[in-house]
Amino acid sequence: MTQENRLALDNCIKCSICVSHCPVAKVTERFAGPKQNGPDLERFRLEEPAAVHPSIGYCSNCKNCDVACPSGVSISAMNAKAKGEYVTLHGAPLRDKILARVEQMGKASRLAPSLVNRLGRIKPLRVLGEAMMGVSSEMTMPTYAKKTFLEMFQPKKITASKDKVLYFQGCYVNYNTPEVGMALAAVLAYHDIELTVEPFNCCGLPLIANGFLDVAREYAQKNVSKLQQYIEQGYRIITTCPSCNLTLRREYQELFDLDTSQFNEQMMDAFEFLNLLDQRGELKVELQELPKRVGYHQPCHLKAAGCGIPSLETLRHIPGLEVRDLDAGCCGLSGSYGFKKEKYPISQEIGQNISRAVQELAVDQVISECGMCQLQVHHVTGAKVYHPIQLLAEAYHLA
Amino acid sequence: MMKKNTDVLVIGAGLSGLMAAAKAVAQHKKVLLVAKGMGALGLSSGCIDLWGYQINQPDKVCTNPLAEIAKLVSHKPEHPYAKVADVLPESIDFFLQICHQNKISYLNTNRNWQLPTALGTLRPTYLVPQSMAVPDLAEVKELLVVGFQALKDFYPDVLITNLQKNTPLGAHCHLKTLMVKLANQELNANTLAHLLEKQAMLEQVISQIKPHVLPGMVVLFPPVLGEQLGHEVTEVLSEKLGCSVYEVANIPPALPGQRLQKALLHHLKTQGVEVIIGCQVTDAQITEKRCQGVVANSNGKIMEISAQTMVLATGSFLGGGLTSQSNEIKEAVFGLPVKVCPGKWSRQDFLSLAGQPFHEFGVAVNDQLQPLDDQGQVLLENVLITGANLAGCNYPIEKCGNGVALASGYKAGKLVGEAGR
Amino acid sequence: MAAEKAQVVVIGGGATGTGILRDLALRGISAILVEQGDLAHGTSSRFHGLLHSGARYAVKDKEAARECLEENMILRRIAPNCVENTGGLFVQLPEDNAEYADQWLAACAESGIPTEELDPRELRRNTPVLHHRVTRAFIVPDCAVDGFRVLWSNVNSARRYGARLYTYHSLTGIQQSNGKVTGVELTNQLTGERKYIECEMIINSTGAWGGAVAALAGIELNIIKDKGTLVAYNHRLTNQVVNRLRPPGDGDIFVPHGTITIFGTTSVTVNDAACTKPGHGEVLDLIKIGQEMIPDLENYRLIRAFAGVRPLYQAGNTAGGRSVTRNFALVDHQERDGLQGFISIVGGKFTTFRLMAEKTVDLAAKRLDVTAPCRTAEESLTSPVSEQWLERGKRVFGIPGAKKAADRLGDSFQRVVEEAEKNPDQRKIFCECEVVSLAEIVHVAGDGDSFTLGDIRRKTRMGMGTCQGTFCSYRTLGALSGYSQFAGNHREYLTKFLQKRWKGIRPVLWGQQLREAQLSSAIYCSLFGMERML
Ligand SMILES: Cc1cc2nc3c(=O)[nH]c(=O)nc-3n(C[C@H](O)[C@H](O)[C@H](O)COP(=O)(O)OP(=O)(O)OC[C@H]3O[C@@H](n4cnc5c(N)ncnc54)[C@H](O)[C@@H]3O)c2cc1C
Ligand SMILES: Cc1cc2nc3c(=O)[nH]c(=O)nc-3n(C[C@H](O)[C@H](O)[C@H](O)COP(=O)(O)OP(=O)(O)OC[C@H]3O[C@@H](n4cnc5c(N)ncnc54)[C@H](O)[C@@H]3O)c2cc1C
Ligand code: SF4
Ligand code: SF4
Repeated sequence: MTQENRLALDNCIKCSICVSHCPVAKVTERFAGPKQNGPDLERFRLEEPAAVHPSIGYCSNCKNCDVACPSGVSISAMNAKAKGEYVTLHGAPLRDKILARVEQMGKASRLAPSLVNRLGRIKPLRVLGEAMMGVSSEMTMPTYAKKTFLEMFQPKKITASKDKVLYFQGCYVNYNTPEVGMALAAVLAYHDIELTVEPFNCCGLPLIANGFLDVAREYAQKNVSKLQQYIEQGYRIITTCPSCNLTLRREYQELFDLDTSQFNEQMMDAFEFLNLLDQRGELKVELQELPKRVGYHQPCHLKAAGCGIPSLETLRHIPGLEVRDLDAGCCGLSGSYGFKKEKYPISQEIGQNISRAVQELAVDQVISECGMCQLQVHHVTGAKVYHPIQLLAEAYHLA
Repeated sequence: MMKKNTDVLVIGAGLSGLMAAAKAVAQHKKVLLVAKGMGALGLSSGCIDLWGYQINQPDKVCTNPLAEIAKLVSHKPEHPYAKVADVLPESIDFFLQICHQNKISYLNTNRNWQLPTALGTLRPTYLVPQSMAVPDLAEVKELLVVGFQALKDFYPDVLITNLQKNTPLGAHCHLKTLMVKLANQELNANTLAHLLEKQAMLEQVISQIKPHVLPGMVVLFPPVLGEQLGHEVTEVLSEKLGCSVYEVANIPPALPGQRLQKALLHHLKTQGVEVIIGCQVTDAQITEKRCQGVVANSNGKIMEISAQTMVLATGSFLGGGLTSQSNEIKEAVFGLPVKVCPGKWSRQDFLSLAGQPFHEFGVAVNDQLQPLDDQGQVLLENVLITGANLAGCNYPIEKCGNGVALASGYKAGKLVGEAGR
Repeated sequence: MAAEKAQVVVIGGGATGTGILRDLALRGISAILVEQGDLAHGTSSRFHGLLHSGARYAVKDKEAARECLEENMILRRIAPNCVENTGGLFVQLPEDNAEYADQWLAACAESGIPTEELDPRELRRNTPVLHHRVTRAFIVPDCAVDGFRVLWSNVNSARRYGARLYTYHSLTGIQQSNGKVTGVELTNQLTGERKYIECEMIINSTGAWGGAVAALAGIELNIIKDKGTLVAYNHRLTNQVVNRLRPPGDGDIFVPHGTITIFGTTSVTVNDAACTKPGHGEVLDLIKIGQEMIPDLENYRLIRAFAGVRPLYQAGNTAGGRSVTRNFALVDHQERDGLQGFISIVGGKFTTFRLMAEKTVDLAAKRLDVTAPCRTAEESLTSPVSEQWLERGKRVFGIPGAKKAADRLGDSFQRVVEEAEKNPDQRKIFCECEVVSLAEIVHVAGDGDSFTLGDIRRKTRMGMGTCQGTFCSYRTLGALSGYSQFAGNHREYLTKFLQKRWKGIRPVLWGQQLREAQLSSAIYCSLFGMERML
């Protein structure tokens, strides 16, 4: 972690605003909360790195604390570092090691994705998994796609392409929801923009969230050097997963002191890019009417990016479409967090706000950028959930 | 670089920024609200103080703050109220209406309430959430103060000991205390509030209190009765205990202020205001007394925002609107001149009745809320200043923090809403 | 009622007085210690907290340097929980006299102080906050020492041998007959009550107040009062003590203490021993000098400033400042003024308090015909907390919580852990900035020596962290309403506490500390209306 970020502990005025906005601390007393785990104990860690509260594992890395803090304290980064310290000192359960290695899990599932999916639905097996591994038997497992995005995607040479665009697809799109990547590809192709893809390492967020900072750092270094090359060649990098985006831009810098200043300029959410096209008058705005009402759930990591909700701006062009912000806060899943037996009830308790909002707004479809949020919103509400880019593709008749 | 364009940019998510955005959007402007973090509203009692004490007898509560503020305008013309007194009644109506729409009802009795605090003092305030509207204690015969063993910030004994010294209680008033014990070892205010929304938990609490309840009893609780909007927990408690139940003001974290903040933010979103928290405005482009746009830092990413008018609702030092070094104070976004008392930022006595001078530091404005220089000349025409960022108000002593924020925010919203028509 | 009796009454509950009390008790001499405030009311809490290795004095005063080194080693051995073995650095900058470094090295060698030269490049790697221009750097065995803990450990050890303590009692009269001390008159500072003690001897160890106390016996004792201002940073800037390698001057030492760093100091002659008000100007001057060593100093958050008064003694000399010797003087008033049973001990350093006590009690014993030798260097002052108890502590208070509580509580740690184990309710962390549990606060409140919230603060560090007591003082008051000394007048207790904190905050009232003050003032005035509370 950079010294500058550590010493942001000096900015903390102990107002507890972060605690009041922490979705986990709100629903369980087992978590000592962002203030104590973050700036309070970081002050002690300058002397004694082991000064980590045993409840640190309860931090879901959702970053609502950072957003609410009026003092610019890098609370979640302090927590992530402390979690790393804790895991180094006390070790981590095998379960966490497996859940954190999203990339390897994805690769392994390639052998027989449908088998993996079926196994994931067999209740007795799940119960066994809970007993032996501590993976909740209740949580809906993500399903693996038959073909990965990288296998499905057909690169198309577009000679007149105005922008050079590289897509950092992320593990979830690649292994689980390639249709999201395909929708993006279609939308860009429709605008005569050439899309480049390439296999990357996992952004490392699941590793960071489970305290395996060393492996995450390795991935980070590899990803940065690869991405840097593209940027030097004039590429923009776009993402559809807000967590990948934030990890590459911010966590790499905050936690590993890697220089990501160019990412901040050249890396953007797919919809930020589309809005840029819009501002240049290049977005095609003849869209099919979609007379429906959908709920929108803002992923915490998109909120933490602090640049608003770019997708809503683009979707405004779709005639007849009514998008209602659920405004229900964190969904509770936070990646691998909600799959853990002891965290599952917490994650469901947090998710109650989502069910309540979905009920109040009476919507049966919800859009959200983050794959994990999609999974959880579906799990707690039963609603059909997809990525906003899919909705846009539909309105362009590309679906 | 990312660019955004809007009619009205509100900088700050404290009460004044939220009010400005609400009023501007009500006049059909495209409004963007950005803030570095949450404002002081969530730390406050949740009550809207207008003006607490008589101007010429600062130890006597004033019953009619509106009349007192009318006097203030001539008595202390540099006070922010002097710039916004014209809209004060309508801003209150507007506020009450929004609250009502969003399921938190506030009561207005057109005079100051005197409400007990967790410390056992009485504080005068004006608009009060239904859950805090404790009736006149002189009339109460039976008073029960309930605390929770697991909550480390509320002590019924402290409350009643001091209440007896600070309040004219009725001669036959009985005071009692009770500590509710739950299985939980330690709960912060938010976790407790969340738990109390579970029926089983609430039943447990009720069963412990019920045996102590007498007819006509008033029961005071810490401000933790539910996190959702609406006052459901308070209502259920009242009904099941068969007595009146209230929350009292306490050191943060406390729920009533947070609920109001949540309600107002929710209101803005439903009205189509784009709200971005976690976005700090760092710089401004100014040509000829007009601000063309500002530069903001969104978690590392730089964004350019242009707008016709801007509302600067960045608060005082606490909020981040003013920054200080050992010998210098600056307004953080535009570098506007800050009115200070040179060489005298603080008083020797921490609890001085004259107040700490630093609270009064801020930007001087005209009655259009435009920032002024030393000579009284307008510095920026399309930037309006609101709330704790304004000079001349010592809210902790005067008891007017949320009142000034409400009225000035409303007025700014009204002015920018009218602009360009 | 018959007056209480003791062979010796020691006046002054600082390092020196408590050290004397212990020494007397260990030699079997019955003794009472009298202190006008809480222990460490004087200079022994308003100091830098540096357990000198002697290196600072090596060039000018080898005798003092050698004494420091010896005492430093003794204290580490007998009171490990009071000493943080940080090690120290001496760093030289290009503008400092390069020859001085060699002179200093030679002097250290002569006094037996071990030094080790450090490659400036390595220094830059390990301690990046220091200026990259550092030309030479040396490691010495400096440590950080906790004044409160040493003092209480002294008293607790003395109590085990029958010694008694009266805090919040001021010496207001000395009774004598036929050129001999016979007793003392004390006034209770909290209640105003008087109390008399019969004794054969008075030892005046009141530091900067020494002259005033001697005057009560009609004796003139000239003590130069030299005020030094210190500031506390919100975090540990370095993990070692850092000294500037040049002749001792202002603003040349940084001492890390647990979570904070103390930086200072200055030197101004004052008239009053109670003149401990730090000034805004002094603080700014200090920062300016400190920036030569740590360039970013201005950007680090200060939490408070404080000042202490050095008692400097030089027979017949009135010149003040740093040129006066830091060595101590033992004044035998029987010889000097013909008053039997009156001894004053003046000057010195915290580091050498034990030695000063030994010399003083040697003289006292001689006068009282006691032959028992001094044992204070051999017998442990506190016994270290065992690993097993530390582990149990961690389970209830967490890692920094248990470790810090063990250091603070020493021998009482077990009791507090047991209490928290039995009573999960007491595991709540009351002071979140300094990680102090309710169990510890309750223990200290009931120890019989705590009369104000300030006493609890000094013993536990409750209210000494970033928020400077805004949140924990209110809580503590609430939780202690079962104790009579904290029950009746909440307004007074809380106001006093907040006011004391405010005194230290005002000189550093800018940046984050001004934000904190605005929050604190808003809580106590806006929310609680405490300014008008009855
Ligand atoms: C503890 C406490 C208790 C109080 N209790 C009461 C009470 O009971 N009753 C009452 O009437 N009043 C009370 N007040 C006072 C009242 O709450 C405040 O005075 C009022 O809310 C100020 O509102 P504001 O909108 O002007 O500023 P703030 O609430 O301070 O909001 C400032 C906003 O601006 C943002 N900001 C600052 N700089 C930037 C930047 N560069 N870029 C983007 N955003 C920025 C901040 O993040 C924040 O969102 C209390 C205040 C405190 C602190
Ligand atoms: C700024 C500063 C920094 C220093 N830094 C260091 C350092 O880093 N290392 C070091 O070794 N030394 C340091 N010193 C020196 C050291 O602090 C003092 O030498 C030492 O604390 C003196 O202890 P004492 O017991 O003699 O005096 P004190 O601690 O002052 O004790 C005297 C006590 O007598 C009490 N008293 C006075 N009058 C009466 C009365 N009438 N009745 C009852 N009680 C009375 C007072 O309340 C007081 O508590 C520093 C000094 C200063 C000023
Ligand atoms: S980290 Fe931020 S929000 Fe949390 S207590 Fe500190 S200043 Fe307040
Ligand atoms: S990152 Fe989320 S879960 Fe972790 S402390 Fe912050 S708000 Fe709480």
